[in-house]
Amino acid sequence: MTKETFLHEKHVQLGAKMVDFAGWHMPVQYTSIIEEHNTVRNAVGLFDVSHMGEVFVSGKDSLDFLQSVVPQDISKLAYEKAVYCQLPKQDGGLIDDLIIYKLGINYYLVICNASRIDEDLNWLVRNSKGYEVKIDNQSHNYSLLAVQGPKADELLRKMGLDTQQESFTIKPAKLCNRKLLVSRTGYTGEDGYEILVENKFSEELWDKVLEYGKEFGIKPIGLGARDTLRLEAALHLYGNDLDENTTPVEAGLSWSIPKDKVADYNGKSVIMDQLKNGVQKKLIGFKMLDRNIARHGYDVYYNGEKVGHVTSGCVSPTLGENIGLAYVKNIKEICTGAHIQVMIREKLHDAEVVKRPFVAKRNKVKI
Amino acid sequence: MSFTEKMLCSKSHEYLLKNDDDTYTIGLTDYAVEQLGDIVFLELPEVDAEFSKGDTFATIESVKAASEIYMPISGKVIDVNSVLVDEPEILNEDVYEKGWLIKVEATGDASEQDDLLEYEDYKEELE
Repeated sequence: MTKETFLHEKHVQLGAKMVDFAGWHMPVQYTSIIEEHNTVRNAVGLFDVSHMGEVFVSGKDSLDFLQSVVPQDISKLAYEKAVYCQLPKQDGGLIDDLIIYKLGINYYLVICNASRIDEDLNWLVRNSKGYEVKIDNQSHNYSLLAVQGPKADELLRKMGLDTQQESFTIKPAKLCNRKLLVSRTGYTGEDGYEILVENKFSEELWDKVLEYGKEFGIKPIGLGARDTLRLEAALHLYGNDLDENTTPVEAGLSWSIPKDKVADYNGKSVIMDQLKNGVQKKLIGFKMLDRNIARHGYDVYYNGEKVGHVTSGCVSPTLGENIGLAYVKNIKEICTGAHIQVMIREKLHDAEVVKRPFVAKRNKVKI
Repeated sequence: MSFTEKMLCSKSHEYLLKNDDDTYTIGLTDYAVEQLGDIVFLELPEVDAEFSKGDTFATIESVKAASEIYMPISGKVIDVNSVLVDEPEILNEDVYEKGWLIKVEATGDASEQDDLLEYEDYKEELE
């Protein structure tokens, strides 16, 4: 059965076009994907991302346990800080990608993809054998609202936000006279916040953000624009750009993996070997050189030879170009500036390899 | 008569409009365009191309996905609305007057239109 978030009624009232996504009935757009996209780049947008998973990890072994399942060094994660992580298997292929937040001593929050909650829980529980740790899935009790865009901070200040936060931090904050967990993170490449709220208060918060946001030109934003925004920022989407057959090194996520982490973790030997000796396939960004749009699954050619496939592709409303991500054979000739071809409806179309992200990210905020 | 009163619709959301000179204009229904959302790409056939009823004659892409457009009757293309190739967003603004796709000479017989619906009936089927 398709699940509905606690804000489902709001989306329907706003006239959203609803679609099934990862088992959830979610708004893909309210008015226009391009208009919603531009609203987030230029002003501020509100997203319902309550379908995402929230898992709390606690207990005296929680640090050691988390250290054993992610390549990132959780021992260096400071109180109220967040870190982007992956959940590799022994062969380095990914169960999911996630954000881990340190909420206290032996107290962590893991936010994971809606489509992977069951797999993640199963994996975490299986790997927790021998650790004194509590893995508490609270996904059904919390809604998650994302407020994203250059006006997001100003808007939340207007609503009484009482914290000063750098990007990638989480704090209990007062907002509209309620204590909520507020994180300065997002999936758009813009500055913004993600607000964890108990289901029973989610509608009230949704309405207030839209009401206070009016003067900033706020709009509700659907999953369609969420996808074009994240792709411009070259943020990976699990199921498209990441899967169980792809390691974080192949996925271009080496920047997120510390080389000096002492603790052992699933997939460490494969990942360390790939960091040292290289990989067979690599992720590239490209832009089409004609009006055609490359889509997930299309084949990629170089010099007449099939070298890989597209994992994400769409029009970039910000650039007015058609962009995409692809996995290709790791040969040095396929580098920035190189021309590749994408097979679209049985014809080859030229594309150029370009640097990622496609649109400069503006989400780094220091206090 | 208004545009929608004169046209016939296919269940795959194309419209067929008979012109005064007995040629036909083919395009997409307002419902189809609304469902697609922002249209960002359109590929149209060449003049003189011949298709049978049900053949794919064009491809349209919204931000989200690519879709095919099918011939509501058999025909030979005599004109294409090539302005749309550079400005596919016209379809979102004016799907009927400015947003027509191709004009054809029918090459099949009239019975090919038997499964096409009047606009009102087409709208009813959607509900």
